[in-house]
Amino acid sequence: MSDFVLELDHVSIAAPGADGPLMLVEDCTLQVTAGESLGLVGESGSGKTLSARAVAGLLPEEFTVGGTIRIDGEDISTVAGKRLRGIRARRLGMVFQTPRAHLNPLRSIGDFMTEALVTVAGEKPDAAERRAIELLAEVGIPDPDRRMRQRPGDLSGGLLQRVMIAATLAMDPPILLADEITTALDVTTQEEVMAVIADLRRHRDLAMLFITHDLALAGAVCDRIAVMQHGRTVETLRAATMRQDAVEPYTRRLLSATLPADVRADSTPPVEPVLVVDGLRKTFQVRSPRGGREEFVAVDGVGFMLAPGGSLGIVGESGSGKSTTARIICGLEAADAGSVTVKGEDWTTAARGTAGRRRRARIAQMVFQDPYQSLDRRQTVRACLREAVAVHRPKASRGELDARVDELLGAVRLDAGLADRKPRSLSGGQRQRVAIARALAADPEILVLDEAVSALDVTTQVEILTLLDSIRRTMGVALLMISHDLTVVRRLCDHVVVMRSGVIVEQGTIADVLDDPRADYTRMLLDSIPHDGWVPRRRIPARTTALPTVATTTTRISPPGGPK
Amino acid sequence: MSVAQLAGGRVPRLARRASARDPLVIAAALVMLLIAVIAVFGPLMAPYDPNQLYVGPVLSPPSLEHYMGTDDLGRDIYSRVLVGAAPSVIAPVFVVILSTALGAAIGISSAWFGGVVDGISSRVIEVIFAIPGLVLAVLAVSMFGKGLIAPIAALSIAYIPIVSRLVRTAARAELGKPYIAALRIQGVSSLAICFRHLVPAVLPPILAQSTVGFGYAMLDLAAISFLGLGAQPPSSDWGVMISAGQPALLTGAPEQSMFPAALVVVTVLAVNILGARVTTWAEGGDR
Repeated sequence: MSDFVLELDHVSIAAPGADGPLMLVEDCTLQVTAGESLGLVGESGSGKTLSARAVAGLLPEEFTVGGTIRIDGEDISTVAGKRLRGIRARRLGMVFQTPRAHLNPLRSIGDFMTEALVTVAGEKPDAAERRAIELLAEVGIPDPDRRMRQRPGDLSGGLLQRVMIAATLAMDPPILLADEITTALDVTTQEEVMAVIADLRRHRDLAMLFITHDLALAGAVCDRIAVMQHGRTVETLRAATMRQDAVEPYTRRLLSATLPADVRADSTPPVEPVLVVDGLRKTFQVRSPRGGREEFVAVDGVGFMLAPGGSLGIVGESGSGKSTTARIICGLEAADAGSVTVKGEDWTTAARGTAGRRRRARIAQMVFQDPYQSLDRRQTVRACLREAVAVHRPKASRGELDARVDELLGAVRLDAGLADRKPRSLSGGQRQRVAIARALAADPEILVLDEAVSALDVTTQVEILTLLDSIRRTMGVALLMISHDLTVVRRLCDHVVVMRSGVIVEQGTIADVLDDPRADYTRMLLDSIPHDGWVPRRRIPARTTALPTVATTTTRISPPGGPK
Repeated sequence: MSVAQLAGGRVPRLARRASARDPLVIAAALVMLLIAVIAVFGPLMAPYDPNQLYVGPVLSPPSLEHYMGTDDLGRDIYSRVLVGAAPSVIAPVFVVILSTALGAAIGISSAWFGGVVDGISSRVIEVIFAIPGLVLAVLAVSMFGKGLIAPIAALSIAYIPIVSRLVRTAARAELGKPYIAALRIQGVSSLAICFRHLVPAVLPPILAQSTVGFGYAMLDLAAISFLGLGAQPPSSDWGVMISAGQPALLTGAPEQSMFPAALVVVTVLAVNILGARVTTWAEGGDR
């Protein structure tokens, strides 16, 4: 018997494959003591999520799990079906990356919150509702009574994630499994959610297995860090001293990937800008809560310049209008007012006809956020690139096209052997390289990157950013980087525009804005980035009720089924 | 490797490979082959003239001389079934081809142009949807006279809404994906985006729908013939035969209706099984 609330001892997971079982997790070994927070860090595919799912019993039935998993010192493979479900229901809480996918869009938050309370804990409906409201208040959701009647579609991603957390707390679990819970959120929302988690851990003495690919975040919120690579836990470190103690080369690589890059020092001489945006405004018609239609101002009075071969970052939270701005520049949306001027030419209205679009295509190209959806899944890499090249060289022979395709593959450092694969058999990073190669096919002068690295792992992010930087230097392509991630912008850009709710809050050189921010909002964005000694704080005054500290802990502290 | 990849990448490939060897699919393919052979060579294989009266006794049970027995007028049912295969199978094929081509064209243009085009075509489609196919067929027959052409035209129109709605939804979802935006920004022509990217993307649901549509068309055409509005006696269309066998059925001689009805059921089943398989194959690039 041990003091660990959760213990994984040489856990391996295998899936049935065409040629015998496929080892997905080789050896995952970790321990979590009561009230401790352990970060499980690694790239996607390293087996962190599978390990957590094995604990929660969420693996597909045909998977085989080896090794031992102990919850409260009890080997769960020796516990039979119904009691095991009980242990999991009462001892574990699990929160996932995409709250929206885990909530039924047709049912209210109240239904969702009270379901487990009524069916598992056997509470009366009205008692369950009171308790649900209490839980929502505990995770800092303002106006919980009203939220109970709303549906998932009415809530933002950050709020939904808090609802998920509140729901897992319904059974007062001593262990929380958090699987990439903030990956889909922007930095300020991430900080809010992490602050909630920190509060909960303080008040409830909650142990946590915190899965993330972001080592800096894990380092800031966890006591210890377990690093996982290729299905193995390679090393376990104390979070406070991880930078000094890291021995494994893989951990060192992860650490360097999260280190802030040097501030770019090269100054660009004043030249005619390649892109001038002035007084841009865009409104959308949205359905108002009262049933009618109302105007939503997505972008208002936005103006900036981009120098040839320069790099400009637009940062802001989701909903700040940065993506809309990029889409207007590329002609995917029409602006209501203002102007977009590219090389002295008016681009405010979308190009008419194929010829006009082609002419613009040779100047501005775009790379999208989701590498899984920005390529046609039916085309091989070669067919995709050949099509992009052929558009601008209608008379070229097949041989000439293929030569150019190989050249593009070389430019994005993609192995030519991958050219005959379809997107589904490429990794996220490889797909994004293909998307970049496709954008370069037209030899553009401006490359618009709409959250182009946000969906990637940290290490892949660094690779893609390095690639983009070298492309800018060798080909002289100007980069317009849209991102919610200030570290990404700092790494790649020399100028930055900070946007909030459709308007520009602050703009200037990276050094001026990020090292000496004048706007409060910029400062808040900067403070939200996890770093050494970072403590997540609630910055948005959203709380309307006092945090209940005693009320929730009186409900059920004793282990299920009474003392053993 | 994540759980999503496992669920999305590995299992379906295994499932696909298994279904290629699926005996049910092989049986369905064999049945379809047999029906096609009958539709083409039926008249040559028939032992008797299908319309020759009293080649045998009236309403005789199956025997070595008459494999499926004889009908109320002493005609050889086996010969009639063989000769009747061509109109019974080919007519629904026409219905499927016509309705799918028109429906897909309408659905894709609705999704592509949106706005007014979408509004008008959607309303027209809704009106067609409101009229049952059989009523439309009866109407067409009263206007163009009896025969197979009127029901084929009417059913083709009646099936358009089902196809076009499906295609419109699928095409809209596809057009919203960033790769379409990327193609536009690259300067790829609208025609190329539509035919090289959009159409192949919406093909799997179209294929699935058309196999289901074939079954419906065959049954509806048989029903129209049964009502005496489609193919006319003494034609040996399966629907006509089922209809004509009705009185005999009540007197305890089910052969006249039973054999063509069994063939309708077997054909529709085979097409649906094959259709499911073809759809999985067309989706191959997706998963």
